Amino acid sequence: MTAAPSGPSELAALLARTADGDQSAFRDFYDRTSAKLFGIILRILVERGEAEDVLQEVYVTIWRKAAEFDPARASPVTWTATIARNRAIDRLRARKSRPAAPLDEAAEVRDESPSADALIDTGRDAARIHAALAGLEPRHAAAIRSCYFEGSTYEALAEREGIPVGTLKSWVRRGLMRMKAELAGGTA
Amino acid sequence: MTAPDDMIPQDMTPDDMLAMDFALGALGRDERRAVDVRLRSDPAFRTLVESWQATLSPLDDATAPVLPPASVWHGILAETAPAPATPAPKPAARSSLWNSLALWRGLALAGTAAAAIAIAQIGPIPVASPAAPGAPPQMLVAALAGADGKPLLSAAYDPLRGAVVLTPATQREDTGKSPELWVIEGDAPPRSLGVIDITGPNAHAISSKQLKGLQPGATLAISIEPLGGSPTGLPTGPVVATGKLTAI
Repeated sequence: MTAAPSGPSELAALLARTADGDQSAFRDFYDRTSAKLFGIILRILVERGEAEDVLQEVYVTIWRKAAEFDPARASPVTWTATIARNRAIDRLRARKSRPAAPLDEAAEVRDESPSADALIDTGRDAARIHAALAGLEPRHAAAIRSCYFEGSTYEALAEREGIPVGTLKSWVRRGLMRMKAELAGGTA
Repeated sequence: MTAPDDMIPQDMTPDDMLAMDFALGALGRDERRAVDVRLRSDPAFRTLVESWQATLSPLDDATAPVLPPASVWHGILAETAPAPATPAPKPAARSSLWNSLALWRGLALAGTAAAAIAIAQIGPIPVASPAAPGAPPQMLVAALAGADGKPLLSAAYDPLRGAVVLTPATQREDTGKSPELWVIEGDAPPRSLGVIDITGPNAHAISSKQLKGLQPGATLAISIEPLGGSPTGLPTGPVVATGKLTAI
Protein backbone atom coordinates (compact mmCIF):
# COMPACT_ATOMS: atom_id res chain seq x y z
CA MET A 1 0.00 0.00 0.00
CA THR A 2 1.16 3.52 -0.58
CA ALA A 3 2.19 5.87 2.16
CA ALA A 4 -0.39 7.88 3.99
CA PRO A 5 -1.62 11.08 2.34
CA SER A 6 0.64 13.99 3.06
CA GLY A 7 0.22 17.65 3.72
CA PRO A 8 1.07 20.27 1.11
CA SER A 9 4.20 21.46 2.87
CA GLU A 10 5.58 17.95 3.10
CA LEU A 11 4.89 17.29 -0.58
CA ALA A 12 6.38 20.66 -1.52
CA ALA A 13 9.54 19.77 0.39
CA LEU A 14 9.76 16.46 -1.46
CA LEU A 15 9.36 18.29 -4.78
CA ALA A 16 12.13 20.70 -3.83
CA ARG A 17 14.47 17.79 -3.10
CA THR A 18 13.36 16.13 -6.34
CA ALA A 19 14.35 19.28 -8.20
CA ASP A 20 17.83 18.82 -6.76
CA GLY A 21 17.98 15.36 -8.25
CA ASP A 22 17.19 13.48 -5.02
CA GLN A 23 15.83 10.17 -6.28
CA SER A 24 14.69 8.90 -2.90
CA ALA A 25 12.59 12.04 -2.40
CA PHE A 26 11.13 11.50 -5.86
CA ARG A 27 10.31 7.90 -4.99
CA ASP A 28 8.67 9.08 -1.78
CA PHE A 29 6.66 11.68 -3.71
CA TYR A 30 5.60 8.99 -6.17
CA ASP A 31 4.49 6.65 -3.40
CA ARG A 32 2.36 9.34 -1.83
CA THR A 33 0.73 10.69 -4.97
CA SER A 34 0.69 8.05 -7.71
CA ALA A 35 -2.52 6.28 -6.67
CA LYS A 36 -4.40 9.55 -6.72
CA LEU A 37 -3.01 10.54 -10.13
CA PHE A 38 -3.60 7.07 -11.55
CA GLY A 39 -7.23 7.30 -10.42
CA ILE A 40 -7.60 10.65 -12.17
CA ILE A 41 -5.99 9.44 -15.39
CA LEU A 42 -7.88 6.15 -15.40
CA ARG A 43 -11.15 7.98 -14.99
CA ILE A 44 -10.46 10.01 -18.13
CA LEU A 45 -8.87 7.33 -20.30
CA VAL A 46 -10.55 4.19 -18.89
CA GLU A 47 -8.19 1.96 -20.89
CA ARG A 48 -5.69 0.71 -18.36
CA GLY A 49 -2.58 0.26 -20.48
CA GLU A 50 -2.94 3.73 -21.91
CA ALA A 51 -3.48 5.15 -18.44
CA GLU A 52 -0.28 3.48 -17.24
CA ASP A 53 1.64 5.02 -20.15
CA VAL A 54 0.32 8.45 -19.29
CA LEU A 55 1.06 8.02 -15.59
CA GLN A 56 4.64 7.21 -16.48
CA GLU A 57 4.87 10.28 -18.71
CA VAL A 58 3.42 12.42 -15.95
CA TYR A 59 6.05 11.41 -13.40
CA VAL A 60 8.87 11.82 -15.88
CA THR A 61 7.49 15.32 -16.44
CA ILE A 62 7.32 15.93 -12.69
CA TRP A 63 10.92 14.80 -12.33
CA ARG A 64 12.05 17.15 -15.07
CA LYS A 65 9.91 20.11 -14.09
CA ALA A 66 10.14 19.86 -10.32
CA ALA A 67 12.31 22.97 -10.26
CA GLU A 68 9.49 24.92 -11.85
CA PHE A 69 7.03 24.10 -9.10
CA ASP A 70 6.21 27.29 -7.24
CA PRO A 71 4.35 26.80 -3.95
CA ALA A 72 3.20 30.42 -4.14
CA ARG A 73 1.26 29.66 -7.33
CA ALA A 74 -0.26 26.26 -6.66
CA SER A 75 -0.41 23.50 -4.09
CA PRO A 76 1.69 20.43 -4.93
CA VAL A 77 -1.47 18.37 -5.30
CA THR A 78 -3.09 20.84 -7.70
CA TRP A 79 0.14 21.17 -9.66
CA THR A 80 0.62 17.44 -10.13
CA ALA A 81 -3.06 16.65 -10.64
CA THR A 82 -3.21 19.36 -13.31
CA ILE A 83 -0.27 17.82 -15.16
CA ALA A 84 -1.99 14.43 -14.95
CA ARG A 85 -5.35 15.72 -16.17
CA ASN A 86 -3.79 17.68 -19.02
CA ARG A 87 -1.72 14.73 -20.19
CA ALA A 88 -4.69 12.41 -19.99
CA ILE A 89 -6.96 14.81 -21.88
CA ASP A 90 -4.30 15.43 -24.52
CA ARG A 91 -4.02 11.68 -24.99
CA LEU A 92 -7.79 11.40 -25.20
CA ARG A 93 -7.91 14.11 -27.86
CA ALA A 94 -5.22 12.34 -29.86
CA ARG A 95 -7.42 9.28 -30.17
CA LYS A 96 -9.28 8.93 -33.40
CA SER A 97 -12.61 8.50 -31.68
CA ARG A 98 -14.01 7.25 -28.47
CA PRO A 99 -17.30 5.49 -27.94
CA ALA A 100 -19.31 7.87 -25.82
CA ALA A 101 -21.97 6.90 -23.36
CA PRO A 102 -24.92 9.21 -22.74
CA LEU A 103 -24.84 11.17 -19.49
CA ASP A 104 -27.31 8.85 -17.78
CA GLU A 105 -25.35 5.76 -18.66
CA ALA A 106 -22.11 7.32 -17.57
CA ALA A 107 -23.71 8.10 -14.26
CA GLU A 108 -24.47 4.42 -13.78
CA VAL A 109 -20.99 3.29 -14.58
CA ARG A 110 -19.18 5.85 -12.54
CA ASP A 111 -19.61 7.13 -9.08
CA GLU A 112 -20.57 10.74 -9.74
CA SER A 113 -21.36 11.98 -6.30
CA PRO A 114 -19.24 10.83 -3.43
CA SER A 115 -20.98 9.70 -0.31
CA ALA A 116 -20.98 11.93 2.75
CA ASP A 117 -18.72 9.41 4.46
CA ALA A 118 -16.20 9.60 1.66
CA LEU A 119 -16.12 13.35 1.84
CA ILE A 120 -15.44 13.43 5.55
CA ASP A 121 -12.08 11.94 4.73
CA THR A 122 -11.25 14.17 1.84
CA GLY A 123 -11.29 17.52 3.49
CA ARG A 124 -13.29 20.65 3.65
CA ASP A 125 -12.49 22.00 0.18
CA ALA A 126 -13.76 18.84 -1.45
CA ALA A 127 -16.90 18.79 0.67
CA ARG A 128 -17.62 22.41 -0.21
CA ILE A 129 -17.11 22.08 -3.95
CA HIS A 130 -19.18 18.92 -4.13
CA ALA A 131 -21.93 20.62 -2.15
CA ALA A 132 -21.79 23.55 -4.56
CA LEU A 133 -21.95 21.17 -7.51
CA ALA A 134 -24.86 19.28 -5.98
CA GLY A 135 -26.73 22.57 -5.60
CA LEU A 136 -26.83 23.10 -9.37
CA GLU A 137 -29.55 21.91 -11.69
CA PRO A 138 -28.84 18.16 -12.12
CA ARG A 139 -28.24 18.25 -15.88
CA HIS A 140 -25.90 21.21 -15.50
CA ALA A 141 -23.98 19.47 -12.75
CA ALA A 142 -23.84 16.29 -14.85
CA ALA A 143 -22.39 18.25 -17.77
CA ILE A 144 -19.70 19.77 -15.56
CA ARG A 145 -18.84 16.35 -14.16
CA SER A 146 -18.67 14.83 -17.61
CA CYS A 147 -16.23 17.50 -18.80
CA TYR A 148 -14.06 17.41 -15.70
CA PHE A 149 -13.95 13.71 -14.93
CA GLU A 150 -14.16 12.22 -18.39
CA GLY A 151 -12.60 14.96 -20.46
CA SER A 152 -15.64 15.35 -22.73
CA THR A 153 -15.54 18.28 -25.11
CA TYR A 154 -18.45 20.69 -25.26
CA GLU A 155 -19.11 19.56 -28.81
CA ALA A 156 -19.17 15.85 -28.04
CA LEU A 157 -21.31 16.33 -24.99
CA ALA A 158 -23.80 18.58 -26.77
CA GLU A 159 -24.15 16.01 -29.51
CA ARG A 160 -24.62 13.26 -26.98
CA GLU A 161 -27.32 15.22 -25.22
CA GLY A 162 -28.95 16.41 -28.41
CA ILE A 163 -28.76 20.08 -27.44
CA PRO A 164 -27.09 23.04 -29.14
CA VAL A 165 -23.48 23.48 -28.09
CA GLY A 166 -24.23 27.07 -27.06
CA THR A 167 -26.83 25.85 -24.62
CA LEU A 168 -24.42 23.37 -23.12
CA LYS A 169 -21.68 25.98 -22.76
CA SER A 170 -24.16 28.23 -21.06
CA TRP A 171 -25.11 25.50 -18.58
CA VAL A 172 -21.52 24.75 -17.76
CA ARG A 173 -20.25 28.31 -17.56
CA ARG A 174 -23.14 29.61 -15.51
CA GLY A 175 -22.88 26.58 -13.27
CA LEU A 176 -19.18 27.06 -12.70
CA MET A 177 -19.59 30.76 -12.00
CA ARG A 178 -22.29 29.94 -9.45
CA MET A 179 -20.04 27.36 -7.82
CA LYS A 180 -17.16 29.79 -7.69
CA ALA A 181 -19.33 32.45 -6.10
CA GLU A 182 -20.54 29.99 -3.51
CA LEU A 183 -17.02 28.84 -2.71
CA ALA A 184 -15.98 32.46 -2.33
CA GLY A 185 -18.63 32.78 0.35
CA GLY A 186 -21.08 34.84 -1.68
CA THR A 187 -24.39 33.80 -3.13
CA ALA A 188 -24.97 33.04 -6.75
CA MET B 1 -21.78 30.17 -33.44
CA THR B 2 -24.94 28.65 -32.12
CA ALA B 3 -24.79 30.48 -28.81
CA PRO B 4 -27.06 33.47 -28.50
CA ASP B 5 -25.39 36.31 -26.67
CA ASP B 6 -27.64 36.00 -23.66
CA MET B 7 -26.32 32.51 -23.05
CA ILE B 8 -22.94 33.86 -22.08
CA PRO B 9 -22.63 34.99 -18.50
CA GLN B 10 -22.38 38.73 -18.72
CA ASP B 11 -19.67 39.27 -16.18
CA MET B 12 -17.15 37.03 -17.95
CA THR B 13 -14.56 38.25 -20.41
CA PRO B 14 -13.61 36.01 -23.33
CA ASP B 15 -10.35 35.23 -21.52
CA ASP B 16 -12.24 34.24 -18.38
CA MET B 17 -14.30 31.83 -20.40
CA LEU B 18 -11.34 30.39 -22.25
CA ALA B 19 -9.41 29.91 -19.00
CA MET B 20 -12.40 28.21 -17.44
CA ASP B 21 -13.05 25.99 -20.45
CA PHE B 22 -9.41 24.92 -20.50
CA ALA B 23 -9.20 24.21 -16.77
CA LEU B 24 -12.43 22.22 -16.97
CA GLY B 25 -10.98 20.18 -19.83
CA ALA B 26 -13.78 20.87 -22.30
CA LEU B 27 -11.74 22.21 -25.21
CA GLY B 28 -10.90 20.30 -28.35
CA ARG B 29 -7.42 19.41 -29.49
CA ASP B 30 -6.67 22.51 -31.56
CA GLU B 31 -8.08 24.89 -28.96
CA ARG B 32 -6.03 23.23 -26.26
CA ARG B 33 -2.92 23.58 -28.35
CA ALA B 34 -3.58 27.28 -28.81
CA VAL B 35 -4.04 27.69 -25.07
CA ASP B 36 -0.82 25.78 -24.39
CA VAL B 37 1.08 28.24 -26.53
CA ARG B 38 -0.58 31.20 -24.88
CA LEU B 39 0.11 29.94 -21.38
CA ARG B 40 3.79 30.26 -22.05
CA SER B 41 3.68 33.83 -23.20
CA ASP B 42 0.83 35.46 -21.29
CA PRO B 43 1.31 35.55 -17.50
CA ALA B 44 -2.04 37.26 -16.87
CA PHE B 45 -3.90 34.59 -18.76
CA ARG B 46 -1.88 31.92 -17.02
CA THR B 47 -2.95 33.34 -13.68
CA LEU B 48 -6.60 33.06 -14.75
CA VAL B 49 -6.13 29.43 -15.71
CA GLU B 50 -4.30 28.60 -12.50
CA SER B 51 -7.06 30.18 -10.49
CA TRP B 52 -9.65 27.91 -12.12
CA GLN B 53 -7.40 24.90 -11.72
CA ALA B 54 -7.09 25.62 -8.02
CA THR B 55 -10.84 26.09 -7.72
CA LEU B 56 -11.69 22.82 -9.45
CA SER B 57 -8.88 20.70 -8.07
CA PRO B 58 -10.75 19.61 -4.89
CA LEU B 59 -13.17 17.76 -7.20
CA ASP B 60 -10.39 15.21 -7.69
CA ASP B 61 -10.66 14.16 -4.05
CA ALA B 62 -13.81 12.25 -4.89
CA THR B 63 -12.01 10.12 -7.48
CA ALA B 64 -10.99 6.82 -5.97
CA PRO B 65 -7.23 6.32 -5.84
CA VAL B 66 -6.01 3.33 -7.83
CA LEU B 67 -2.68 1.75 -7.04
CA PRO B 68 -0.61 1.58 -10.25
CA PRO B 69 1.35 -1.59 -11.07
CA ALA B 70 5.04 -1.66 -10.17
CA SER B 71 5.94 -1.64 -13.86
CA VAL B 72 5.04 2.05 -14.01
CA TRP B 73 7.69 2.97 -11.47
CA HIS B 74 10.26 0.83 -13.28
CA GLY B 75 9.45 2.71 -16.47
CA ILE B 76 9.82 6.04 -14.72
CA LEU B 77 13.10 4.97 -13.20
CA ALA B 78 14.42 3.94 -16.59
CA GLU B 79 13.80 7.45 -17.87
CA THR B 80 14.93 9.42 -14.86
CA ALA B 81 17.84 7.47 -13.41
CA PRO B 82 21.18 9.04 -14.18
CA ALA B 83 22.83 7.42 -17.15
CA PRO B 84 25.80 5.19 -16.32
CA ALA B 85 29.06 7.11 -16.50
CA THR B 86 30.29 5.02 -19.37
CA PRO B 87 27.43 3.68 -21.42
CA ALA B 88 28.39 0.33 -22.87
CA PRO B 89 27.35 0.47 -26.49
CA LYS B 90 26.52 -2.81 -28.12
CA PRO B 91 28.18 -2.80 -31.53
CA ALA B 92 25.16 -4.49 -33.08
CA ALA B 93 22.81 -1.87 -31.73
CA ARG B 94 24.95 0.91 -33.12
CA SER B 95 25.27 -0.54 -36.54
CA SER B 96 22.79 1.90 -38.05
CA LEU B 97 23.19 5.52 -38.99
CA TRP B 98 24.71 6.41 -35.72
CA ASN B 99 28.28 5.43 -36.34
CA SER B 100 28.65 7.86 -39.13
CA LEU B 101 29.52 11.34 -38.02
CA ALA B 102 29.61 12.32 -41.65
CA LEU B 103 25.97 11.39 -41.93
CA TRP B 104 25.19 13.51 -38.91
CA ARG B 105 26.86 16.47 -40.49
CA GLY B 106 25.16 15.75 -43.77
CA LEU B 107 21.77 15.72 -42.12
CA ALA B 108 22.48 18.88 -40.24
CA LEU B 109 23.59 20.54 -43.43
CA ALA B 110 20.49 19.38 -45.27
CA GLY B 111 18.41 20.89 -42.56
CA THR B 112 20.28 24.15 -42.61
CA ALA B 113 20.07 24.46 -46.34
CA ALA B 114 16.31 24.15 -46.43
CA ALA B 115 14.43 27.36 -46.74
CA ALA B 116 11.58 27.29 -44.32
CA ILE B 117 13.05 26.06 -41.10
CA ALA B 118 11.48 27.11 -37.87
CA ILE B 119 14.27 28.90 -36.15
CA ALA B 120 13.73 29.90 -32.61
CA GLN B 121 15.91 31.37 -30.00
CA ILE B 122 17.29 29.16 -27.34
CA GLY B 123 18.65 31.33 -24.69
CA PRO B 124 19.88 33.02 -22.73
CA ILE B 125 21.26 29.80 -21.37
CA PRO B 126 23.19 30.38 -18.19
CA VAL B 127 26.32 28.59 -19.22
CA ALA B 128 28.31 28.26 -16.02
CA SER B 129 26.83 31.58 -15.03
CA PRO B 130 28.11 31.72 -11.44
CA ALA B 131 31.66 31.41 -12.68
CA ALA B 132 31.32 34.07 -15.33
CA PRO B 133 29.37 36.93 -13.80
CA GLY B 134 30.48 39.45 -16.36
CA ALA B 135 29.79 37.37 -19.42
CA PRO B 136 26.72 38.27 -21.45
CA PRO B 137 24.12 35.51 -21.64
CA GLN B 138 24.83 33.35 -24.61
CA MET B 139 22.14 33.24 -27.23
CA LEU B 140 21.87 29.98 -29.09
CA VAL B 141 19.80 29.32 -32.15
CA ALA B 142 18.62 25.88 -33.13
CA ALA B 143 17.02 24.62 -36.28
CA LEU B 144 15.55 21.17 -35.90
CA ALA B 145 14.33 19.86 -39.21
CA GLY B 146 14.03 16.57 -40.99
CA ALA B 147 16.31 15.58 -43.83
CA ASP B 148 13.68 16.91 -46.21
CA GLY B 149 13.98 20.32 -44.58
CA LYS B 150 10.55 20.22 -42.98
CA PRO B 151 10.64 21.82 -39.56
CA LEU B 152 9.79 19.36 -36.82
CA LEU B 153 10.23 21.39 -33.69
CA SER B 154 10.30 24.99 -32.73
CA ALA B 155 12.24 25.86 -29.63
CA ALA B 156 11.84 28.90 -27.45
CA TYR B 157 13.27 30.08 -24.20
CA ASP B 158 10.52 30.65 -21.69
CA PRO B 159 11.59 33.20 -19.09
CA LEU B 160 8.62 32.26 -16.90
CA ARG B 161 9.82 28.73 -16.53
CA GLY B 162 13.50 29.32 -16.96
CA ALA B 163 13.63 26.54 -19.47
CA VAL B 164 13.78 25.85 -23.15
CA VAL B 165 10.41 24.82 -24.44
CA LEU B 166 10.14 22.60 -27.47
CA THR B 167 6.90 22.83 -29.38
CA PRO B 168 6.07 20.46 -32.20
CA ALA B 169 5.82 22.27 -35.53
CA THR B 170 4.15 19.35 -37.19
CA GLN B 171 2.30 16.27 -36.05
CA ARG B 172 4.02 12.97 -35.89
CA GLU B 173 2.20 9.81 -35.01
CA ASP B 174 4.63 7.42 -33.44
CA THR B 175 2.32 5.28 -31.39
CA GLY B 176 4.20 3.07 -29.04
CA LYS B 177 7.44 4.93 -29.62
CA SER B 178 9.27 7.66 -27.75
CA PRO B 179 11.10 10.43 -29.57
CA GLU B 180 14.36 11.12 -27.77
CA LEU B 181 16.45 14.26 -27.97
CA TRP B 182 20.21 13.95 -28.24
CA VAL B 183 23.14 16.25 -28.36
CA ILE B 184 26.33 15.39 -30.18
CA GLU B 185 29.37 17.33 -29.17
CA GLY B 186 32.45 16.87 -31.28
CA ASP B 187 33.36 13.24 -31.69
CA ALA B 188 31.74 12.19 -28.42
CA PRO B 189 28.90 9.70 -28.54
CA PRO B 190 25.40 11.19 -28.57
CA ARG B 191 24.24 12.28 -25.12
CA SER B 192 20.57 11.95 -24.28
CA LEU B 193 18.62 15.01 -23.21
CA GLY B 194 15.67 12.79 -22.51
CA VAL B 195 12.53 11.52 -24.09
CA ILE B 196 10.36 14.27 -25.51
CA ASP B 197 6.76 14.49 -26.53
CA ILE B 198 6.37 15.55 -30.14
CA THR B 199 3.20 13.64 -30.88
CA GLY B 200 0.85 15.70 -28.76
CA PRO B 201 0.16 19.37 -28.44
CA ASN B 202 2.05 19.51 -25.19
CA ALA B 203 5.17 21.52 -25.13
CA HIS B 204 8.12 19.82 -23.58
CA ALA B 205 10.50 21.71 -21.38
CA ILE B 206 14.15 21.02 -20.92
CA SER B 207 15.52 22.67 -17.85
CA SER B 208 18.53 24.95 -18.07
CA LYS B 209 20.32 22.49 -15.83
CA GLN B 210 20.26 19.84 -18.55
CA LEU B 211 21.44 22.31 -21.15
CA LYS B 212 24.37 23.50 -19.10
CA GLY B 213 27.56 23.36 -21.03
CA LEU B 214 25.97 23.22 -24.45
CA GLN B 215 28.18 24.99 -26.93
CA PRO B 216 27.71 26.38 -30.40
CA GLY B 217 28.53 23.75 -32.99
CA ALA B 218 26.88 20.93 -31.09
CA THR B 219 24.26 19.03 -33.06
CA LEU B 220 20.82 18.37 -31.67
CA ALA B 221 18.99 15.35 -33.00
CA ILE B 222 15.79 13.47 -32.48
CA SER B 223 15.54 9.74 -32.89
CA ILE B 224 12.53 7.48 -32.58
CA GLU B 225 13.10 5.02 -29.77
CA PRO B 226 11.13 2.27 -28.06
CA LEU B 227 8.60 3.55 -25.55
CA GLY B 228 10.40 5.11 -22.62
CA GLY B 229 13.55 5.88 -24.56
CA SER B 230 16.61 4.13 -25.85
CA PRO B 231 17.33 0.96 -23.87
CA THR B 232 21.05 1.22 -24.49
CA GLY B 233 21.77 4.83 -23.58
CA LEU B 234 22.60 5.47 -27.22
CA PRO B 235 20.28 6.12 -30.13
CA THR B 236 18.92 2.94 -31.68
CA GLY B 237 16.11 4.15 -33.93
CA PRO B 238 15.75 6.30 -37.04
CA VAL B 239 16.85 9.92 -36.90
CA VAL B 240 13.93 12.15 -37.79
CA ALA B 241 15.44 15.57 -37.29
CA THR B 242 18.74 17.24 -36.68
CA GLY B 243 19.98 20.75 -36.27
CA LYS B 244 23.06 22.59 -35.20
CA LEU B 245 23.38 25.04 -32.36
CA THR B 246 24.85 28.33 -33.42
CA ALA B 247 25.58 31.40 -31.38
CA ILE B 248 24.13 34.73 -32.38
